[in-house]
Amino acid sequence: AAEPWPENAALYQQLKEDQILLSDNASSLAVQAFLQMCNLPIRVICRANAEYMSPSGKVPFIHVGNQVVSELGPIVQFVKAKGHSLSDGLDEVQKAEMKAYMELVNNMLLTAELYLQWCDDVTVEEITHPRYGSPYPWPLNRILSYQKQWEVRRKMKAIGWAGKTLEQVLEDVDQCCHALSQRLGTQPYFFNKQPTELDALVFGHLFTILTTQLITDELSEKVKNYSNLTAFCRRIEQQYFEGHEKDSSTVAARSSKRSLLR
Amino acid sequence: MAAPMELSCWGGDWGLPSLHPESLTVMAYAKFSGAPLTVNTINNSWRAPKGDLPVLVSEDIVISQPAKILNFLRKQYNADYDLSAKQGADTLAYIALLEEKLLPALLHTFWIEAENYCSVTKPWFASKIAFPMSLYLPGKMSREALNRILLTKGGPPLYSLTEVEAQIYRDAKECLNLLSKRLGTSQFFFGDTPTTLDAFVFGFLAPIYKVCFPRVQLQEHLKQLPNLCRFCDDILTCYFRLTVSSHAPAGQDTADANLQKLTQLVNKESNLIEKMDDNLRKSPQHPSRKLTTLKLAAGGEESSPMSRLSP
Repeated sequence: AAEPWPENAALYQQLKEDQILLSDNASSLAVQAFLQMCNLPIRVICRANAEYMSPSGKVPFIHVGNQVVSELGPIVQFVKAKGHSLSDGLDEVQKAEMKAYMELVNNMLLTAELYLQWCDDVTVEEITHPRYGSPYPWPLNRILSYQKQWEVRRKMKAIGWAGKTLEQVLEDVDQCCHALSQRLGTQPYFFNKQPTELDALVFGHLFTILTTQLITDELSEKVKNYSNLTAFCRRIEQQYFEGHEKDSSTVAARSSKRSLLR
Repeated sequence: MAAPMELSCWGGDWGLPSLHPESLTVMAYAKFSGAPLTVNTINNSWRAPKGDLPVLVSEDIVISQPAKILNFLRKQYNADYDLSAKQGADTLAYIALLEEKLLPALLHTFWIEAENYCSVTKPWFASKIAFPMSLYLPGKMSREALNRILLTKGGPPLYSLTEVEAQIYRDAKECLNLLSKRLGTSQFFFGDTPTTLDAFVFGFLAPIYKVCFPRVQLQEHLKQLPNLCRFCDDILTCYFRLTVSSHAPAGQDTADANLQKLTQLVNKESNLIEKMDDNLRKSPQHPSRKLTTLKLAAGGEESSPMSRLSP
């Protein structure tokens, strides 16, 4: 735990151009933003089988030294064990608030993204199925995407989201964005001067929603309604992502994805 | 303007108006906001629960999930009127925290922990449902709870149910700690009046706190957080009037109850002493020994026995 951060730390995600989906992209971007905020260098490596390489089955995961950690929560703890933390300056009540807001984002935004990708038939047919199985030959691509769809739908049913219509899901997204917007107010970050893992998580999800083109623009419209949230995303992008050369490729790739997703 | 509203939900026991966390949340919110709600608890009749409880019926509208019921009630009876926008946002966030971190452990304690389920939960719920649904419905609720926990928390790297259980109880204890820190010393989460968040927290905490299970690790952890226990007790006595004292307001309750118990004890002792009095008068024993113990006990009640004992 006392080893310094190695130079060759790597973050694995699915293929950026063709394969990665909205929710995975959001999670990956959140982790990248968090590591940038901690000033820890990381390379992004895209592999088609990233989901299977991950110890928990979820992307993204990081490979640091000889350890592999996946998902934002465990990565934050791992980084903290190495001695870097963004939330040390918060008092107990603020830490409780931060955890609560992170759960809100996971509970509402991430679930809504998953719903949109896997339970909305139009989106599933036109975007998700083609993208998810794109590295694999037929019939493997169809089998894998149906398997994943079945898994996600089971989970939605267990938590009670299966009965929701798309309008209700968009309502929930709106409520969540409203809450985030109220909490952010006019401050630069959620806990005033310093960014924390909450800022990274919110940035990851909102930026991805704003820049990913889906069948309709309803989801991104909901976020655009709140100007302080769009300003927040732009500010973090400028501060943490445009200053670095290697990340200019991620910015360029993101904008090209806009045309590729159709 | 107020259409008659009827709430169907699970009944209660062990001092609670309901055992079911979601029903309890709705009941608590109705009390906080002053909504006139007639509560029908499910008992052993043929009006069996058809869908998920709690269900609110108002004229022709039927609403079934607690969040939606609360939204409906809030239109006319708003307990969140004094909250700032940021506090409203905090409410949503904390409710999400409760659902993600505390609810799995709550479901586990009630429905999946074998001893608890077989000795407490299943008999209780079966007694409230008519035969033959009582044979089927508790089992179905238990399977649904297990399904939910496994699907949301049970993926790799947790590969067995015991590992999942360990994880969810860790999360639940952390969540309780966070809630305790957030509540601090204030009476409710946002000042002096209860709001939606208080209804949700109460709905989730009270069953853990009050129901007597054989396996109680979560309850023991909760009892180590006195401000949360005090929070539950306050709401029960203030708004549900189901525990000991029904006259004194919240803050004085425990003090009054203690005083009551003390005076009862003193009265008992004085009765005993009266009986022994006749014997004592004849014997050479000093009654002063008994007098001093009475003096130390409670104030004001021993005047009558003292006068009787003085020679």
